[in-house]
Amino acid sequence: MPDPVKLREAVIEGDWKTAAAVTQAAIAAGVAPLAIVTGYLVPAMDEVGRRFECEEYFVPEMLLSARAMKASMDIVRPLLAAAGAEPVGRVVIGTVKGDLHDIGKNLVASMLEGGGFEVIDLGADVAPERFIEAAAANSANLVALSALLTVTMTSMKTTIDAFQAAGLREKVKIMVGGAPVTQQFADAIGADGYGQSAGAAVAVARKLVAA
Amino acid sequence: MRTALEHREPDRIPLDFGSTAVTGIHVSCVAALRDYYGLAPRPVKVHEPYQMLGLVEDDLRAAMGLDVTGVLPRKTMFGFPAADWKEWNFHGLDVLVPGDFRTRTEPNGDILIFPEGDETAAPSGRMPMGSAFFDAIIRQPEIDDERLDPADNLEEFGPISEDDLDHIERTVRAAGGSGYGMAAAFSGTAFGDIALVPAPFLKNPKGIRDVAEWYMSTRTRRGYIHRIFERQCEISIENLARIHTRIGDAVDCVFLCGTDFGTQTSAFCSVATFRELWFPYYKRVNDWVHAHTAWRCFKHSCGSVERFLESFIEAGFDIINPVQCSAAGMAPAELKRKYGSRLVFWGGGVDTQKTLPFGTPQEVREEVLRRCEIFAPGGGFVFNSIHNLQAGTPVENIVAMLDAVHQFDGVSHA
Repeated sequence: MPDPVKLREAVIEGDWKTAAAVTQAAIAAGVAPLAIVTGYLVPAMDEVGRRFECEEYFVPEMLLSARAMKASMDIVRPLLAAAGAEPVGRVVIGTVKGDLHDIGKNLVASMLEGGGFEVIDLGADVAPERFIEAAAANSANLVALSALLTVTMTSMKTTIDAFQAAGLREKVKIMVGGAPVTQQFADAIGADGYGQSAGAAVAVARKLVAA
Repeated sequence: MRTALEHREPDRIPLDFGSTAVTGIHVSCVAALRDYYGLAPRPVKVHEPYQMLGLVEDDLRAAMGLDVTGVLPRKTMFGFPAADWKEWNFHGLDVLVPGDFRTRTEPNGDILIFPEGDETAAPSGRMPMGSAFFDAIIRQPEIDDERLDPADNLEEFGPISEDDLDHIERTVRAAGGSGYGMAAAFSGTAFGDIALVPAPFLKNPKGIRDVAEWYMSTRTRRGYIHRIFERQCEISIENLARIHTRIGDAVDCVFLCGTDFGTQTSAFCSVATFRELWFPYYKRVNDWVHAHTAWRCFKHSCGSVERFLESFIEAGFDIINPVQCSAAGMAPAELKRKYGSRLVFWGGGVDTQKTLPFGTPQEVREEVLRRCEIFAPGGGFVFNSIHNLQAGTPVENIVAMLDAVHQFDGVSHA
């Protein structure tokens, strides 16, 4: 019988090979896919987020843990879908139009996925209409916008306005983040939430989908 | 400027814009400033296409009341010389770009640029439609840990060429006698600068070139990175020696490294990691500079870096830039109190994430005056905004910033 506790350790330590191997073994031994997510991956990524918040972990460690979590999720995800398991929420995420920076966005996406969300990652330089199409096509209840540049922060407002114009603003919650973004800016452009860090973003997302 | 670098209070605060690729001005802002000051109308040269930085020429330097000129690299971030200028239209603005600046516009409007101007190579930079900067295209060959060779990550670090030495000597001589302070960037001395890791200047980069992979490698392949830094350190000291033989002490400071250790709210690594992985190499380079030259060592690092400043000083850095006061733990008065007698603050003059691009001229003025009151006493301050002036910054705000510095000094310009 595999020891799924090792999965939690592997994710926290950023060991993707062990994470994948333990996940495979657990599935083969009959552990339910949803139990792998809720019992091991979510607590592991919560711990990674905690370590990041208290500066035991930094960007490299976060990236390693995210990669280990993904290695496990790549095995579990198709099984979850086949079983019709419902995620905590569905989030469409991307870096806004004109901005190619994606490390922060990728970390937030990983933390959200590790937090039990289904994540539809549109990548970087994403036009407002692509956010709208993806949100509608996936019945997302959350949209997460990232920007690193002051010159592309304005694309966040353009995107929120586009959801309004498309008549979809009331159907999704929109959260924003990125180095130059502040709570004040988020409020000014009519976002529903703002995450100061990748860890904080998960708490914000959970609050928004519960509201 | 020299007085300020010696931590003595000068008659007025030295001002820098345009001397380096981290204290520069976006080409659109250079054009707007030339227009504002009524200078001869002519297209601005984009000396650094990666960030689309415009060349600050002598007439604009005088109009803005600047005190520093730069020895800019001979080649751009895309590996071609900043020379043989040709016309290019950038979002409706006529500019001049280097002759080997070769681009292809994608069907979606994105602009791709080619390393060394070679259109047969894979493009190494992309400017999304409507954007104002290029970003590196990641070209990461498959990594086989068994075969990773530090030499692959050292392709860009080699003996300085005669062309580069001639360029440096020519630039220094041309600026000599101008009365301006001189900041130089000689290339090759930045250890693991994440902007350089993807090597947009190389046609076929090898080794670790993906940004996330590099960050992870600082944990998982530390021995490999040590071997890169070790060899790079030897090469850079040999190059600095050759440069010093050519130009002597004609430059005041050398922009040695732009590796960012700070994020908006935290850091990219712990102080312990910094001291293990970077500190020994920084110290070796800075010690060589201090033992053999009169140059001062200039370190750029964005973000929340207060925790590293003691180590930067111990490693021999004399100057810190851009002093991102908006990041966590970077309150200007506290920085000045703790480090002001030992570290020159080259930046910190005004916030470029909020105040300068989005504030009113009055808000800009007030922030600049507050920062000058904090940083200027006792010298050790060269005024610069926090990093480059970004595209879209209103020219009225830039002028309000400059006027506030001049007002603080009690002098009138332009």
